[in-house]
Amino acid sequence: MSDPGPVIGIDLGTTNSVVATVRDGVPRVIPGRGGQLLTPSVVAVAPNGRRLVGALAKRQAITNPGGTIFAVKRLIGRRWGSKEVEDARRVLPYDLVAGPAGNDVRVVLGGAPVTIQEVSAQILAELRADAEAWFGQPVTRAVITVPAYFNDGQRQATRDAGRIAGLEVLRIINEPTSAALAYGFGKQMEKKVVVFDLGGGTFDVSILDIGQSVFDVVAVGGDTYLGGEDFDRRVIDWLTFGFARDNGGIDLRQDRMALQRLRDAAERARCELSSAAMADVQLPFLASAGEGKAALHLMKQLTREKLEELTRDLVERCIAVTERTLRDAGVRPAQVGEVLLVGGMTRMPRIQRAVRDFFGREPSKGVHPEEVVALGAAIQAHALVAPATPGAEVLLLDVTPQNLGILVAGGYFQTVIPRNTTVPTSQTHFFTTVQDDQTQVRIAVLQGGGERAEENELLGEFVLAGIRPARRGEVSIEVAFDISADGIVGVSARDVDTGLRQSITVTATSGLTEEELRRILDENVDELLARKQTGAEFEEARARAAGVMREIEGLVPAVQAALERSRFGRDAVQKAEGVMARTRQAIEARDAGALGAAAESLDRTLQLFRGLARGGPPPAEE
Amino acid sequence: MESVRALVDEGIRAYVAGKIPEARRLLDEALRRDPRNARARSYLLLFQGGEVAAPAPAPVGGAADPAGYAPSPWDDGPAAVATVVLEAEEGLDLSAVAEKSDLRPLVPEATQPSAPGPGDVDVWMAGARDLHALGDFSGSLEMIEKILKVDAEHHEAREYLRQNEATLVAMYESKLGPLACVPRLAIQPEEVMWLNLDHRAGFLLAQIDGTVDFESLFALSGLPRLDAARILATFVDRGVIAA
Repeated sequence: MSDPGPVIGIDLGTTNSVVATVRDGVPRVIPGRGGQLLTPSVVAVAPNGRRLVGALAKRQAITNPGGTIFAVKRLIGRRWGSKEVEDARRVLPYDLVAGPAGNDVRVVLGGAPVTIQEVSAQILAELRADAEAWFGQPVTRAVITVPAYFNDGQRQATRDAGRIAGLEVLRIINEPTSAALAYGFGKQMEKKVVVFDLGGGTFDVSILDIGQSVFDVVAVGGDTYLGGEDFDRRVIDWLTFGFARDNGGIDLRQDRMALQRLRDAAERARCELSSAAMADVQLPFLASAGEGKAALHLMKQLTREKLEELTRDLVERCIAVTERTLRDAGVRPAQVGEVLLVGGMTRMPRIQRAVRDFFGREPSKGVHPEEVVALGAAIQAHALVAPATPGAEVLLLDVTPQNLGILVAGGYFQTVIPRNTTVPTSQTHFFTTVQDDQTQVRIAVLQGGGERAEENELLGEFVLAGIRPARRGEVSIEVAFDISADGIVGVSARDVDTGLRQSITVTATSGLTEEELRRILDENVDELLARKQTGAEFEEARARAAGVMREIEGLVPAVQAALERSRFGRDAVQKAEGVMARTRQAIEARDAGALGAAAESLDRTLQLFRGLARGGPPPAEE
Repeated sequence: MESVRALVDEGIRAYVAGKIPEARRLLDEALRRDPRNARARSYLLLFQGGEVAAPAPAPVGGAADPAGYAPSPWDDGPAAVATVVLEAEEGLDLSAVAEKSDLRPLVPEATQPSAPGPGDVDVWMAGARDLHALGDFSGSLEMIEKILKVDAEHHEAREYLRQNEATLVAMYESKLGPLACVPRLAIQPEEVMWLNLDHRAGFLLAQIDGTVDFESLFALSGLPRLDAARILATFVDRGVIAA
C-alpha cells in the first residue's frame, strides 16, 4: 500500500489561520514558506490582476477594499437573506450577491461571483502548500476546526472547501474541544473547562464538561463582532485624532494608503504592548500636506496604560458576555476547573487580569493562544491515522453538533436527538394530534438550540396525511430520526394504528449543489494539471527567450552605431545585457515567474533596439 | 549647419535639465543663425505662454529629484515674508479697505493662461517626438500627458504613451534586478526621516520589510506600474534599498 502521507490539523479562523502537525509524537505549528506561523485569512486580486493570499493580501486590504475578501467564515454555509449575512453586508467593504438558486451567498472577487467555499479553499490551499513545502511531500488529509455553534450546513461547507483545496477532511471538530485537546485534557480527568477565545474578529466563550475522554460542549456564548480589530480601531482613532490636532485637521482615515499603514502600525503596537510598557509608532511620510509641501510624519508613543484606557469598555464587554454565558448555563465561576485562553488578543495583560478576577483563578497559559486550536486539530488528526502511537490517546467520536427535532404545538421545538449524540444513531419519539378529527400533521425537521421553533434552522418538512379521524390525543404518531455515518438524516412519521407512513431525507448542504461542487473540483483539477504542464511551458518560454536574446545580440552593432552619434542612451546596451543576465539566471534557476518577468523586459528591449537600428541616430537637422 | 544642430541639441538638453534661460539663449542663437530651423522654433514656442516651467525639484514619487536632497530653503526666496505690524486694538481689515478704495496691487495680477488649443497640441507632439528620439522618455511622457489632457483620443500621443511607458518601466525595472528578489532597507531605519519622499513613496518604503519581493511590491502598492517602478528605482539609485 502506498504511503498516504502526513496529516495536518487546520484552525481555519475568521482573521488568521494556522496549520499544525504531530511529528515524533510532538505537536507543532508548521511555519509558512515566509517563516510566519499565522496566515491571515484574506484573499485578494490586486489591481494588477495578481492573486494574493495571506499576509500579502492583508497588507493591501485597505488600499484595495473592493478586491480583498476577508472574514468569509462569517458567511460560510449561511443562507442569503439570513440575519448573519445581512449583518455582514453592513460592515464588509466587498460585494455580496445571492447564488443562482437564491439561497446561498457569493462574493465578488476579480469582477466575478465566487462561492464562499472557493474563497475558504484558497486559504486552505495556501496552508496545504506551506505544509507540503515543510514536509517535502504531498499532503492530502486534514482535520479542520469550526466554532462549536456551527450547524451541519456550515460544517458541510467547510468540508467542501477542504475538498476544493484538494484535502480529504478526516474530521471536523469544535474549536474549544481542540483547544482542550492541545492542553492534554481528556485523560483521566473530570472537569468543567471554560474556553475564552478572543480572536481577531470574534469572541467565543465555551463551557466544556470533560470526563472519561468525552468532550461535551454544554454552552456556547460570544459576540461575533468583537475581537482584536476593535482594539486596533481604538488605537487608530487615537492616532488619527492626535494627528488631526497637530496638523490642521487632516483626517488620515480619508487616505487609504495612510489608513493601511495606520492599521498595520496599530496592530504591531498593540501586540508589542503585551510584553512591553511602551510602543513607538513611527510612520514617516505618512500623508500629503498638499501640493509642493513636504509629506507629514506621525511619531507617537503608546503606553500600555493608554491602550488599556482606550479599550476598557471592550474588555468589560468580554467579561459581561462571559458572565451571561455562565449564568445561562447555570454555572458559577467557582465551579470552573480550568480556564483556557485562546486567540492572540488574550495575550493582553489587561484581559488576563480581567479573566483572573472574574473566575478567581489564574487562566492556563501553557500553550501559545494563537496556536492552541491548530495543535489540538493536529493531535486529533494524528489520533485518527495512528491511534496506537503515543499522543493519540483521545479519539473524538463524530457527534451531532446541535439538537435535532421537530416543530410541536405552540410553535415549540421538541428535541428528538440531542446535541453531542454519537453518530450513527436512531431515535424514536411518539407524538399525538392536537385537534379533534385531525387528518394530517406537518412534520417540520429542525436543528438548533432554541426553545422556540423559529429560533432554529429548518432542515426540511413533509406532511403525513390520511390519519384516522379521532379525538385529539387519541392518535399515536411515531416519529423516527435516523442519522447515518455520513451525516445523512432520515426522518419518518407513521400512524401507529393504520401503518400509514411518510418520510424525508435531509442531507446537510453547504449551499453548493453537487453539480456546482463537481464543476469547481474539475476546475481545480485543471489547475493541478496546469501546474504539471508548467514544465512544458517553461521549456517553451526558455526557447522563446533564447530566440529574443539572439536577435538582441544581433542588433547590438547597429544599435551601438546609432548610439555613437548621440550622447543619449549610451547605457542602453549595458542595460540590455543586464536584462539578458536576469533571463539567464531565471533559466538556470528554472524560475518560471522570474523568466516571465524577464521575458517582458526582453520584449521591450527588443522593441527599443529594433527602433534604434531601423531609425538610425537621433533625428538630423532639417 | 552642424553648429546650428549642436546649438539646438544643447538647447533641448538645457530645457530637459530645467535650465530654461540657457535653453532660450541657445535656441535663440540657433534661430538667429538659421531662421527656418523648425526644431528650434518649436521649442521656443514651448516657452511662451507660461506653459512650460522649469521642473522644480520634487520629492520621490513625483518627478525625480536628481540630487536626492530636500530642496534648499534658499531656492524659494526669502525664508519669511516681512513682518507686518498691525495696530494693537482691532487691526485693519485689509480686504474691506481694498474693496472701498481704488488701490490696486503694484504687482500685476497673474493672467489666467488661455486654454490650450490645437496649435499647442502640435507643438507638444513635436516636442514629445524629439524628446523620445533623444532618449528622454520621461520628458516625452510629460508632453504626452499634456496632450492627452486636451485630446484624450489623440492616436499618436497614445502610441507614444505606450512606448514611453514600456521603455521607462523596462529602464526602471532593469535597475531593480530580478523581480523575484526581496529588497531590504540599506540605511538605518532612523535615517529614513532624512529622505525627501512623498506619501506614496513613504507607503512603498514602509512595505519593504525584507519579506516581500519586487513583484509583490508592485501588487501591494496599488500604484500604476510605472510609478511604482520609478519610486523603487530611485530608492535603489540612492542606496535606500538593496536587493
